[in-house]
Amino acid sequence: MNTEGIKDLLYKMADDQLIIGHRNSEWTGFGPLLEEDIAFSSMAQDKVGQSYQLYNILNELGEADPDTIAFMRNADQFHNCQLVELPNGEYDFSLVRHFLFDTAELLRFQMLSNSSFEPLANLSRKIKGETKYHSMHANIWIKQLGSATEESISRLQSALEYALPFALGIFEPSSHEQDLINEGIFEGEDALKNKWIEVITAVINETRLSLPDFKSITPVYGGRMGKHTEHLQPLLEEMSEVFKVDPTSDW
Amino acid sequence: MLKSLDPRVNRLNLPEQFEAPMASIEALDQFETYQAFVQLKEGKPFEHAGIVHAPNEEMAFLFAKEQYTRRGMICNALCVVKTESIMVSEITDNGQDVYDSFSGSFSEDDSASFEIFHLLKRGKQHKYIGNVKAKDFEDALLASKQLYPRTKPVYNVWVVRSEDILMSEPEDADLWNTLKEKQYREAIAYKAADKIKAFKEEQA
Amino acid sequence: MYGGGNVFETMKATALADEDPVKLAEFEARIDRGEKIEPTDWMPQLYRKQLIRMIEQHAHSEIIGALPEGTWITRAPGFKRKLALMAKVQDEVGHGQLLYSAAETLGKSREQMIQDLISGKSKYSNIFNYPAFTWADSCFISWLVDAGAIVNQVANSKGSYGPYCRALERICAEESFHLKYGHHCVIHLATGTKKQREMMQAAVNRWWAPMMHFFGPSDKISVHSEILMRWKVKMASNDECRQQFLDMYVPKIWELGLTIPDEKLKKNQETGQWEFTEPDWEEFKRVINGDGPCNKERLAVRRIAEERGRWVRQALLAPKSKYVTPLA
Repeated sequence: MNTEGIKDLLYKMADDQLIIGHRNSEWTGFGPLLEEDIAFSSMAQDKVGQSYQLYNILNELGEADPDTIAFMRNADQFHNCQLVELPNGEYDFSLVRHFLFDTAELLRFQMLSNSSFEPLANLSRKIKGETKYHSMHANIWIKQLGSATEESISRLQSALEYALPFALGIFEPSSHEQDLINEGIFEGEDALKNKWIEVITAVINETRLSLPDFKSITPVYGGRMGKHTEHLQPLLEEMSEVFKVDPTSDW
Repeated sequence: MLKSLDPRVNRLNLPEQFEAPMASIEALDQFETYQAFVQLKEGKPFEHAGIVHAPNEEMAFLFAKEQYTRRGMICNALCVVKTESIMVSEITDNGQDVYDSFSGSFSEDDSASFEIFHLLKRGKQHKYIGNVKAKDFEDALLASKQLYPRTKPVYNVWVVRSEDILMSEPEDADLWNTLKEKQYREAIAYKAADKIKAFKEEQA
Repeated sequence: MYGGGNVFETMKATALADEDPVKLAEFEARIDRGEKIEPTDWMPQLYRKQLIRMIEQHAHSEIIGALPEGTWITRAPGFKRKLALMAKVQDEVGHGQLLYSAAETLGKSREQMIQDLISGKSKYSNIFNYPAFTWADSCFISWLVDAGAIVNQVANSKGSYGPYCRALERICAEESFHLKYGHHCVIHLATGTKKQREMMQAAVNRWWAPMMHFFGPSDKISVHSEILMRWKVKMASNDECRQQFLDMYVPKIWELGLTIPDEKLKKNQETGQWEFTEPDWEEFKRVINGDGPCNKERLAVRRIAEERGRWVRQALLAPKSKYVTPLA
């Protein structure tokens, strides 16, 4: 097994889930309606829970324990895509990011259900219901708001145009791509991106939103290599503020 | 700007003082309400769980799923019905069966399908009883009276056209697959008696 | 999380004079038999009004109550605490939803209630007007404020109004997680390092006075009508709830080596009652009337949430949809 490649894949996935879960949890108590506040919080919890399970697999491969990995690293050691670290903004951006990211999440875990790396295949199958709900939630919201009022349509359209270059950053290739493909561990970022474009396009086509030509967008890369926006380090400092008071004590 | 201890609040950039009271809107932005019913296990009856506010039934389903089935170890299915679509019978008390007040006989016309829910104790939840085929709502009550013999008084009946119910598909049961993994939401995950004991021993 | 101490409407002696005596007798007989009142039943105007008021205050207390602990939601130390606090704060929002639903069955819409909260017309529990300075404050709230709320809510779940009882049963079941989680957090701090211990003690010192206020003014000075007790709207007196809380939790606080900042606090072995320094009810009144450390912030956050969410709700509102009072 290609342990380096697997670790690389696990790190980027775990960091993605943790950071977006953290961001989405910021909405708790501030949501646009009570029911949605609850639903959005559940999905944030799912994501943080998934990141924990991914870090656990890493732990079994010899990496530090999940709390240490999550709470003690600096931004340049994180491998999440930049999309997930961006501030929440208003609900338009948060929803659009949820849609773009969670579509990729669903497809990635679907692909990994058949991975030759058993722990990841098992996890992917186990959380199938969670990712299905996330994607169902995102699609219904985008279809609703994307065809409702002038305001909602123009807000979503702007958010979409802002988020898309970052969203393409989800699929930043790693140096292990070919090895992972050859060993049947993961079909690769390119394959994922192509499926993702298909699904995104189908949903957007049911709304009054429009997608630019994907070829005209320059993806924002760097996140997978530890290059981040100015937003990640403060997020991590906030997240670990209490933990770092004494990282060795039991909280 | 208002300074808060909550970093999330600081990111909202709240003013120190609002210039005017919140603008009142002509019509309150109220959604319709939907009733949610939950089935914990296959074969068990659906029970009324509560309501959600939602603009349409698929969103009602999304919301009800998290508001009413996000904890507990199991859940098998969920359905939602627009409140307006439920026909509610009279309500009785003190051991009186509400079915005794329905007079007339069932038409035997089975052109429409209805679902029946009973309230067996005031203060408890309405429970699903079964399906009846009848002509209309009143007729469904009569059909139910004939079809479902009662050992205990029923205080209130809800009748819904089957077509007005949005129900999870059997293959959606996996939506609740990881419920048992979410122990952090359950009291049982927080045991610390050992720590107290050790602490007391150390103090003594 | 709500501790009672409800602000009820001042009642006029004539309030019942206009009610149909036959219906009133049936209504009271039903309550005496121990049967619950359901939304479609006939009920006296006064019963409806006081219930709306009480359940609404309870609902507001949940959604405002999500804010002090929410202060630490992005900073919970470690995965276990992070997940639990997210779920806990979410539950408070969920409880608000359940309670608004129960109040709605009595004929007041949720949006109207939220407007009345933001405009300051209706009240919520005093305790949430205090700030959560450190992580330990959020632990105090999770354990002890929830513990206090449970005392009140368990009593109220035996009240006469069906929808409120149903909501409270669900809420109490969830609160047992809050209580255990909060206790778990406090145990870890109190039995932890010197720093953690000091943090916890400081939080107890800050929160004790608001905690004593939580159950509302003493029965000696708070006038609640005999009729609300008879109708099973108010189920336990403020003093009873406070005594029960002290009985259950003071020993648990002490066993962790924490001190409570009230020299007079002790259980009188003869009467079985706890004795304590009389809480400052002037401060209580001041804070409930808007002059607490966080009143302004709490309402401002709720208002901003409403305003920022408005375009979303407007977009979802199909023009033909119609609001219907929920059934149960």
